[in-house]
Amino acid sequence: MTSHPVLLVFVYALITAVATGLGAVPFAFMRRLSPELIGWANAVASGLMIGASFGLVAEGTGYGSLQTVGGGLLGVLFILLTQRLLGEHELEFGGMSGANARQMLLMLIVMTVHSFSEGVAVGVAFGGGMALATAITVAIAVHNIPEGLAISAVMRPQGVSVLKCAGWSVFSSLPQPIMAVPAYMFVEAVRPALPWGLGFAAGAMLFMVLVELLPEAYGRSGKPSVAVIATLSLIGMVLFQHFL
Amino acid sequence: MDPVLIVLLYSSIAAFAAALGVLPIVGRPSPPLRWMGWANALASGLMLGVAYSLMVAGLEGRPLHVGGGALLGVLVVWATHALTGTADLDLNRLDEGRPEYGYQVILVNMLHAAHEGVAIGVAMAVSMSFGILMALSLAVHNIPEATVMTTVISRRGIGLRNATVLAIVANGLQVLNAIVTFAIVVAAPVLLPWALGFAVGALVYLVLVELLPESYRQAGHTSIALVTIAAMGVVVLLQGRAG
Repeated sequence: MTSHPVLLVFVYALITAVATGLGAVPFAFMRRLSPELIGWANAVASGLMIGASFGLVAEGTGYGSLQTVGGGLLGVLFILLTQRLLGEHELEFGGMSGANARQMLLMLIVMTVHSFSEGVAVGVAFGGGMALATAITVAIAVHNIPEGLAISAVMRPQGVSVLKCAGWSVFSSLPQPIMAVPAYMFVEAVRPALPWGLGFAAGAMLFMVLVELLPEAYGRSGKPSVAVIATLSLIGMVLFQHFL
Repeated sequence: MDPVLIVLLYSSIAAFAAALGVLPIVGRPSPPLRWMGWANALASGLMLGVAYSLMVAGLEGRPLHVGGGALLGVLVVWATHALTGTADLDLNRLDEGRPEYGYQVILVNMLHAAHEGVAIGVAMAVSMSFGILMALSLAVHNIPEATVMTTVISRRGIGLRNATVLAIVANGLQVLNAIVTFAIVVAAPVLLPWALGFAVGALVYLVLVELLPESYRQAGHTSIALVTIAAMGVVVLLQGRAG
């Protein structure tokens, strides 16, 4: 498989997508999940993603710090832009009736668009070497689990089966393998683009953590518990990356 | 100049920089809540940038010791909050009636600054130029932090001049800890990765438990995230240029 790096990139990014389905697992045992637990899951994901983006930045600045920070700026702008586009959709959906179905659909659209930049992150990380790639893949895979949780938490109470919850969760992350491959091929073909790409992934991930994951975590669980869990996850991620 | 004097000089600059934090409220005794949110976000981003830089410096040596130090850092900050009864304290309340609140805010700010002193001291032990960059980043960071603190305590009837002095004094332990940490790490270099880790763990935990949670209630999520990342980016950029 190592002789086909493109296939490897695809498989790794597919793993992150499948991990999203794990978010449906708790719903096999219960219909609802305590908000505190979802908050903690978000805190774990936040810490892992901050740690992962530290790794991306450290790798990127080795090639050029200006390019890395420039790429980070692009990553932030990309997420901002997708947010804007989705924001308008949100209003349209909000104006219609049949709120539950729409809520589900909206949730899926939001998650799917998110997955684009995460796929890019996995692909670009492969340009920085296997260790970085594995670390980023793990970070994004674990981050996907609370996303699957969130999707299932909306769908399951509507009577959707656990299996279907898992299926839709995985579906929402399918852009990851689809985006990872061209992102990888691009940074491989255009080597000077690598620090830009690494910065892009770091900026996008950090922005998502700061704009969504952390505020959600604080909203659901106490701040000392969120801070402890996120900081420990961050430290764990940094060490994990180092020993790969 | 003797290295200890350089540590003293730059950690003092960091402490005195806090006085500038009063400027935004000189003209506007009750600044909009958004300002406090952005001040918190700016302070958060600079701290995260410093934590990132220290982490990169630490990983060049003994990563497990850095990890151990980081755990210790989280534990110590958590314990100081728990033992002083300030674990769930919101540092940004403008209408808090409890008489002890003002003292608690100053206490938490003092403890916060003390942990940053470790960061300055250990960075100086890594190399002087790195230490100076970290000290100056934290000096800039002290300004918005002081803005938040002086806004809160001036609402409680403390005059601007007294609030300014209190903001500087609250950073006194930063100077002391910077010098003590520097002296210890230089005397016992095996402790360097531990001290680096301690600073990383403490700084990240402080951002996540003190600064960011309130900021989200003061300004929009998007603007908080933007200010935080921009501040981080500046530190990363400066560090890349210097190193």
